Amino acid sequence: MKKPSSRKQAKFSKSIIFPLVFLVLGFILAYSYSLSQAEETSGDFMANSQFEQEERFREELIEQQERNKTLREEMQNKQNALQEFESSFSTEEADYSGMAAEAEKLRRYIGLMPVEGEGLKVVLEDGEYSLEAVNPNNYIVHESHVFQVIHEMYISGAEAVSVNGQRIQSNSTIVCTGPVIEVDGVQHPAPFVIEAIGKPEVLAASLELPGGVLDQLVNDNIIVTMDEGLVISMPALLSES
Amino acid sequence: MWLSILGLILGVSLGLLTDIRIPPEYANYLSIAVLAALDTLFGGIRAHLQQVYDDKVFVSGFFFNIMLAAGLAFLGVHLGVDLYLAAIFAFGVRLFQNIAVIRRILLNKWTEKKEIRESV
Repeated sequence: MKKPSSRKQAKFSKSIIFPLVFLVLGFILAYSYSLSQAEETSGDFMANSQFEQEERFREELIEQQERNKTLREEMQNKQNALQEFESSFSTEEADYSGMAAEAEKLRRYIGLMPVEGEGLKVVLEDGEYSLEAVNPNNYIVHESHVFQVIHEMYISGAEAVSVNGQRIQSNSTIVCTGPVIEVDGVQHPAPFVIEAIGKPEVLAASLELPGGVLDQLVNDNIIVTMDEGLVISMPALLSES
Repeated sequence: MWLSILGLILGVSLGLLTDIRIPPEYANYLSIAVLAALDTLFGGIRAHLQQVYDDKVFVSGFFFNIMLAAGLAFLGVHLGVDLYLAAIFAFGVRLFQNIAVIRRILLNKWTEKKEIRESV
């Protein structure tokens, strides 16, 4: 009775334990195998990937360097262009400043700006009344005299001319109306103070030329006084005198 | 017998399908365990052939050897001594011895059979 039961038990334990043993064995073997395989592949992969990574990084580096090079060249070009621009700007600026200076000069010429500078002052006075001279036209200052003086001054480089403080412009009119002259409709009596801005010595010399304006004026019995080296200031045309 | 093969197949498939990754420093334990399992298996076969086989000895030896080997390797790792080498050495030697014994026994059986057939 006991023997079969023990046999049975043994058989049962065998039938349970052997599969268990083999299961463990198979599991361990398979797991070890798969693990070593994974390690190998991973190691392989790592080595491979390291190599590949190195290669890839190198390629990337080369690419970056090339890109840097092209960018540097581009930058150089742009900088050159910029320099050209800048130099052109500076020349243009110089042009502009020149133009501005010229514009100011021109404005001074046409009397839009108040001017001040060295100049010459010429005073034309009627001659002394004399009994011999029957005709008063012979000793009073005529508008032609004023014209002469003004023209001479312009010719000899005067930048601005005024008569009794009134600026003469390009289209000024000077009309003789009896004992007075009208400059742009404003009457001025004698004596006429003609002021010119320019180089005083040049202006004076041109007036004092032999047979020139001064001689003619003196011939016409006009008292002329010249003042050199004065600082003359003139208002702008548009401003009220 | 069939159940054993089924168990083996199940174990193999389970082992292949397991996706748990253990740290590489613990792979030594597993190799020791493999060695211990193989050693016990061949020991069992030898014992069977020598007619001294015992279920309890085999089964207990199987699991105990695995655990002992793994424990030894574990201890070795933590002590800084490569104790798993000792286990590998011991099991390796025993494995070869067992296989040699099995081979000799099988050869003897074969030659005996041959002689018997010739004599007949």
